[in-house]
Amino acid sequence: MIDLLLKTSWLVPCYGLFGGLATLPWSTRAITRTGPRPAAYLNLMMTCLGFLHGAFAFRSLWGQPAQSLTVPWLNVGELHLSLILELSPVSLGALELVSGLSIIAQVFALGYMEKDWALARFFGFMGVFEAAIGGLALSDSLLLSYGLLELLTLSTYLLVGFWYAQPLAVTAARDAFLTKRVGDILLLMGMVALSNLAGSLDFTDLARWAPTAHLPMWQATLLGLALLAGPVGKCAQFPLHLWLDEAMEGPNPASIMRNSVVVACGAYVLVKLEPVLSMSPVVQGVAIALGTMTAIGASLVAIAQVDLKRALSHTTSAYLGLVFVAVGLHQSDVALLLLLTHALSKSTMFLGVGGVIATTTCQDVRELGGLWSRMPATTTAFLVGAAGTVGLLPLGMFWAMYRWMVEPTVPRWTLLLLLAVNFLTALNFTRVFALVFGGVPQPKTRRAPEVPWPMAVPMVSMTVVTLLVPLMLERWQLLLSRVTTVTEGVLMLDVPLMVALVMSGAAGVALGAWCYLRRGAVRPVRLPIAAVQDLLSYDFYIDRIYRLTVAAGVGAIAQITAWIDRYVVDGLVNAVGVAAIFGGEGLKYSTTGQLQAYVLVFLLGVSGFVAIATLSRGVMPF
Amino acid sequence: METAFPWLTILTLLPLVAALPIPLLPDQDGKTVRWYALGVGLVEFALLAWTCLTQYDGHESGFQLVESYPWIPQIGLNWSLGMDGISMPLVMLTGLVTTLAIAAAWNVTKRPRLFFFLILAMYSAQVGVFLAKDLLLFFFMWELELVPVYLLIAIWGGAKRRYAATKFILYTALGSLFILVAALAMAFYGNHYTFDMDELAMKNFPLALELLLYAGFAIAFAVKLPVFPFHTWLPDAHGESPTPVSMLLAGILLKMAGYGLIRMNIEMLPNAHIYFAPILAILGVVNIVYGALNAFAQRNLKRRIAYSSISHMGFVLLGIAAFTDLGISGAVLQMVSHGLIAAAMFFLVGVTYDRTHTLAMDDMGGLAQQMPRTFALFVAASMASLALPGMSGFVGELTVFLGFSSSDVYSPAFRATVTVLAAAGVVLSAVYLLSMLREIFYGAQSEKLAGVEWSDLKPRELVISLCLLAPIVAIGVYPKLATQAYDTKVVEVATRVRNNFPVVARTQNSRFYAAVLNAPKLADATATGAAAEVAID
Repeated sequence: MIDLLLKTSWLVPCYGLFGGLATLPWSTRAITRTGPRPAAYLNLMMTCLGFLHGAFAFRSLWGQPAQSLTVPWLNVGELHLSLILELSPVSLGALELVSGLSIIAQVFALGYMEKDWALARFFGFMGVFEAAIGGLALSDSLLLSYGLLELLTLSTYLLVGFWYAQPLAVTAARDAFLTKRVGDILLLMGMVALSNLAGSLDFTDLARWAPTAHLPMWQATLLGLALLAGPVGKCAQFPLHLWLDEAMEGPNPASIMRNSVVVACGAYVLVKLEPVLSMSPVVQGVAIALGTMTAIGASLVAIAQVDLKRALSHTTSAYLGLVFVAVGLHQSDVALLLLLTHALSKSTMFLGVGGVIATTTCQDVRELGGLWSRMPATTTAFLVGAAGTVGLLPLGMFWAMYRWMVEPTVPRWTLLLLLAVNFLTALNFTRVFALVFGGVPQPKTRRAPEVPWPMAVPMVSMTVVTLLVPLMLERWQLLLSRVTTVTEGVLMLDVPLMVALVMSGAAGVALGAWCYLRRGAVRPVRLPIAAVQDLLSYDFYIDRIYRLTVAAGVGAIAQITAWIDRYVVDGLVNAVGVAAIFGGEGLKYSTTGQLQAYVLVFLLGVSGFVAIATLSRGVMPF
Repeated sequence: METAFPWLTILTLLPLVAALPIPLLPDQDGKTVRWYALGVGLVEFALLAWTCLTQYDGHESGFQLVESYPWIPQIGLNWSLGMDGISMPLVMLTGLVTTLAIAAAWNVTKRPRLFFFLILAMYSAQVGVFLAKDLLLFFFMWELELVPVYLLIAIWGGAKRRYAATKFILYTALGSLFILVAALAMAFYGNHYTFDMDELAMKNFPLALELLLYAGFAIAFAVKLPVFPFHTWLPDAHGESPTPVSMLLAGILLKMAGYGLIRMNIEMLPNAHIYFAPILAILGVVNIVYGALNAFAQRNLKRRIAYSSISHMGFVLLGIAAFTDLGISGAVLQMVSHGLIAAAMFFLVGVTYDRTHTLAMDDMGGLAQQMPRTFALFVAASMASLALPGMSGFVGELTVFLGFSSSDVYSPAFRATVTVLAAAGVVLSAVYLLSMLREIFYGAQSEKLAGVEWSDLKPRELVISLCLLAPIVAIGVYPKLATQAYDTKVVEVATRVRNNFPVVARTQNSRFYAAVLNAPKLADATATGAAAEVAID
């Protein structure tokens, strides 16, 4: 039985898909009598089944070697493309994480989306969303991963554009799709090149091929950059980062998934591609540079945001930047650890945020305040999530970051980067906490009640899970490296580093508290130089730069081509037609009936022809 | 290989013969005629499917179910039909799309008898084009299909229908003259007068003549495909024609050109193909990018999708130019896939037009609130068109990409440039399709649509869209469904054209080819390989 469950664990992502399909009768309004709720329950039930199935498979696989499953997909001539799934503790663990978070998000959505008329459609999208992420966790072939990444792009498009009558949601959905698509197509190019160079698209084969392949440096670099572009788009890294900020227009339960596991998908593929990327030092340099820029830049931008969700989504970009740096430094273990802890704690924060938005119908931090006494569970969730996201001593992220800092090969500047990001994030979270939960109640928060149970249950459960992360890490020995053993199975205790890490967070909290929580603090805080504040709050004006360069450029080129098409290419055709008509009309006056005139024209023509033929003798063949 | 039962003749003639009694049908308001036409379409499609599934063997590369009867022996015209791996998927596509087009023409109230008669006549001609094994018969069928299209646009079209129809007929009739001239030249060459395709493929033409013949066919097919700069009839024809005709134009008629390119140009004139292939590749990329940019600039819904057809047909050219089995396979798959997707897109545009009575995107907006089901299907069709994995468009374009980039015939720099530019076209396809969705469906409802009587997708329309989307998804999820039909054939075609390559490659010495092709190196490699094989023997 257990064996059967393990063998069929490829089905786990399909549960989400089936659930999504099962909602169709309700989302297409073929069934209206029951209301949309049965669809939600159906989808939720399928996800739970998937979770249980995955849990059994995970348990029976624990300690066993990885298995793989191959489905032939396309055979043309010599080319054989297969879709390959890998069943390993890591992949099944990731799958469980996805299913678990999906359950949390869906139960939360039962409360959050209670009054939405399109509840069934939302759950249908969530089913597809979950299936794509779950499939990515299991996939061991770049082709399948690519397909699923694109499916994720689609689900992001659908979920962000869920409220399709809202103008901001509309452009956000489009921008999310296009930004990710640019990365995806570059990844596709890399994939096509890789298929020709390596002859296989399985991650396992690629990892074996990469060290032995001796490609010219320029080729390896171009290949690596193309492969890097996909994850850059998915993980919202500079320069393809704007979509995540805009995507916050979508419903919050989807944002929970998006900020935790969806962005992690790109990084997961990146980790799997690491052997190929490391063929070129330039690619690693670019990965590290992009990661660093995003980590610092997004942390700064986050502090200047007034939108509750956007203030948090920018820190997601920042943490994924750290993951990029880790992958660039060949520290895949650290990268996965960062992804795990970040996913758990960030989703807890977003649950709290969702609670606030659901009860106050407001996500502008300037209009919120004093919620701590009114919504204790929500406040706790937010606080615990925030504590788990920054390096606060006993919680998850501290250990992930610390694990990275004691890695023997880690360069000095990475420590500084970590401390800086930790400081800025702590400052930002303190600011958000102070504005939303601290201070005196505002008109919009005065009568805010605590969230109802469908939202409270997932919130509290995730709070507990976040608190338990260090225990999980300890229990499953995730803090120990699988590749390079950190001093023989025992995590070194380096007290100065620990203190530095904690102090960076504490400094951020202190600064934030001094600015926002001290008596008589002026809200909102204005920086001394307004231009700097504007620069940060408008995200370095990058969206405007894009609008003026890329978007305007494509539009202008399109207009020019259309003009050419209309007046040059088609104009020529029409000119021939007009010439034919005029020629005919004109020639009809030459038919005078005078024989002499005809003979004259004839003679002139013949003599002209003879003259040409004589003069061009030797040039022409006759 | 004579089969006892004349399957293909029946398939080709059934719609035409069935169309003949239409004028005699007792019919007051066109309701009998449409049921009759739909019935004929369904029977024909069922027969087609039955023939393809039971009588046709995908593992054979040559013509199957061959029938040949002398028709006009004085000029050597034979009624000679055959089906092989290239024609089979396209015939199936014809059956599906034409039958659905008849169902899409449900509400034609103006002269329904003539309308359905013409559609059925077209049905026969299309099947005939794909099944003809005689070059003169091919030309005959090709011309036969032009007349119904001309009339359908000229009578049932939009405001500028006369202009569009005339442009269409002038362009394609002039283009098809080249087919006739080339066919006659091929038939008269040598001491054996024949129009049979297999026998023509066996003739060895002198290179100069072969190049001329190739150019003749290429021009004719370039007009039809259409290839830049011969494409300008298409946006006008699409923009003005009624929905069912748009479906047929984009779904099937364009594929006849791709089919002809593979059948005539590659199979019969492989030596000249080597000279023209780089040009085809360049034109293919121009089509992809130019079509996509133009599509983005269009403000008329049908014209936008028409230009997107031009862009997508560029991939067919690219696949044909690739010299690999993968490339040609991709070209066939892209034709099938685009046939389905374009038909779905044009049908859904027609559905919206029925409600809004406008095609100007500036006047539309916020339709999703009134037509959520149409919106959902429109999104699905757009996703297929922009090559989302899991839909057939992705498999077609991926195969073309893989086929072209793995083609050792071209130099790496040329391959890389072409592939990257084509990829830019794919990104652009997302740009123009998403902006189209945004302008039509998202946001608040446009004020210009105030007087519209709204109704969402009717069951008939839903069934038509699903019949088109189902194969799109099926092929996208499991491409073997389609590829197994023509895999053997494609490998054979690619092998044949590659066998000719070393011979020709040695003789060429132009700078353009030296820059683009990998020829001398490859020719030497193949020559040594051949020598080694001889030594082993």
